[in-house]
Amino acid sequence: MDVFQLLFASLVFPGLIFLTALSFLTQYIVRKLSARMQRRMGPKYVGPVGILQPVYDFLKLLRAKELVKTRYSMVRAAEISLLLGLSSLVASALLLPLNVFNIGSPYDFLVFFYMASIWPIIMIIVASLSMPGPYTSVGVSRLLSILTVSEPAFFTGLLVPVALASFDTKTPLMISTASSKVLGLWINPLTLPVMVLVTISLIVAIQSKLMLPPFNIPEAEQEIIAGYETEFSGPLLALAILLHDMDTVVSALAIVYLVLGGPAPFTHASVEGVLLLVVKYLVVITVATYVKNVFGRYRIDQALMALLKYGLMPAVVAGILGTVYLYF
Amino acid sequence: MTHSYSLNDPLATTILVFASMSISFIALLLVYESLKSRVTRETQIYLSGEPEEVVKEASPSVGNLYWGFIKKFARSIFNTLINKVQTGSIHEWFSFISSWLGILILLAVLMSVLYLLAR
Repeated sequence: MDVFQLLFASLVFPGLIFLTALSFLTQYIVRKLSARMQRRMGPKYVGPVGILQPVYDFLKLLRAKELVKTRYSMVRAAEISLLLGLSSLVASALLLPLNVFNIGSPYDFLVFFYMASIWPIIMIIVASLSMPGPYTSVGVSRLLSILTVSEPAFFTGLLVPVALASFDTKTPLMISTASSKVLGLWINPLTLPVMVLVTISLIVAIQSKLMLPPFNIPEAEQEIIAGYETEFSGPLLALAILLHDMDTVVSALAIVYLVLGGPAPFTHASVEGVLLLVVKYLVVITVATYVKNVFGRYRIDQALMALLKYGLMPAVVAGILGTVYLYF
Repeated sequence: MTHSYSLNDPLATTILVFASMSISFIALLLVYESLKSRVTRETQIYLSGEPEEVVKEASPSVGNLYWGFIKKFARSIFNTLINKVQTGSIHEWFSFISSWLGILILLAVLMSVLYLLAR
């Protein structure tokens, strides 16, 4: 991979420009679907059928709104943290088979998870603590409590299909290998229960990872205003919202490629493959939006119990069943 | 377009990913700095309506220590006192206060006698 390819992949496709555009589109889809489920219209006026509303909101926050701070705020630290979170998500997308250039190696799944899941959330926490306030502290403490269960659940949920699909190959835990072989796990009756368990686990884990209902207690607005985001305003809030949306996109793409097989049984080069990829992505987003709108908010203790029961336990059981399948 | 992934060294992949992260970070920083609003407003920190002094001192005040102790460790004594004194009847309140006043007067007399004897 030469410098031009790296620049193109980082800045254009599947990097910064593509991911930002997809983040805005995904936010629009989530808002429109949520509105339909709640018998509202949703975004309507900016652009055709309101599709440019997220872009307008972002630019308004970034360019027009003022930044409100206190004498204890460390604005530059918060800005750098959020930008680092965004750039880690952009870098993680390079490891997905969506990338037209060649980046991949055995065990690259571990690098991907580190960049796509650990960095962004740590950066959100650092940014929140850089703009201190009583509600921020409560929000961050709740966020950390949820993370202790949701991150292991999300990791195990993704690890099991990747490990099963790439176990007997020369490229263990390689994303592209796993993505091309994972569809076979859905067809094999012995691994089908494992995949069902993994899917249940990931549906729960993605809700908590993205702090969507019923796991949105870190930002319970009636109680702690906006939780960890309370002190964000103007350009900082624009970055925080973009980081959340990009996190949604990368998490959904990870599920699409590592659990649902990406464009398989077709290839990226075929129209059917691209259409199937889009459909799978929309299915993941629709399921997350549906769960978001169906459930109310759990208390922190209820959220942790639900995460343990329906997020972590299915993933652990899937891991045990997968190990039994591989070795016996 | 089909994907033909050559096998890189995991370390090379990690370096490439971090290089990409650095490139994205610089690009994001440039775009953000050129587009962001420069208007800022400084406000007092919001502490549920309390003044900043409540978090200014290194140690809690005597009053806060007293109420902290009562609420955390002596809740039953506190509840007993409340139920005994604040019943809504002025007779019970007077009875309670006078009983304590009686003990205090006895103590004062006793201490005075002890003081006189010791002197």
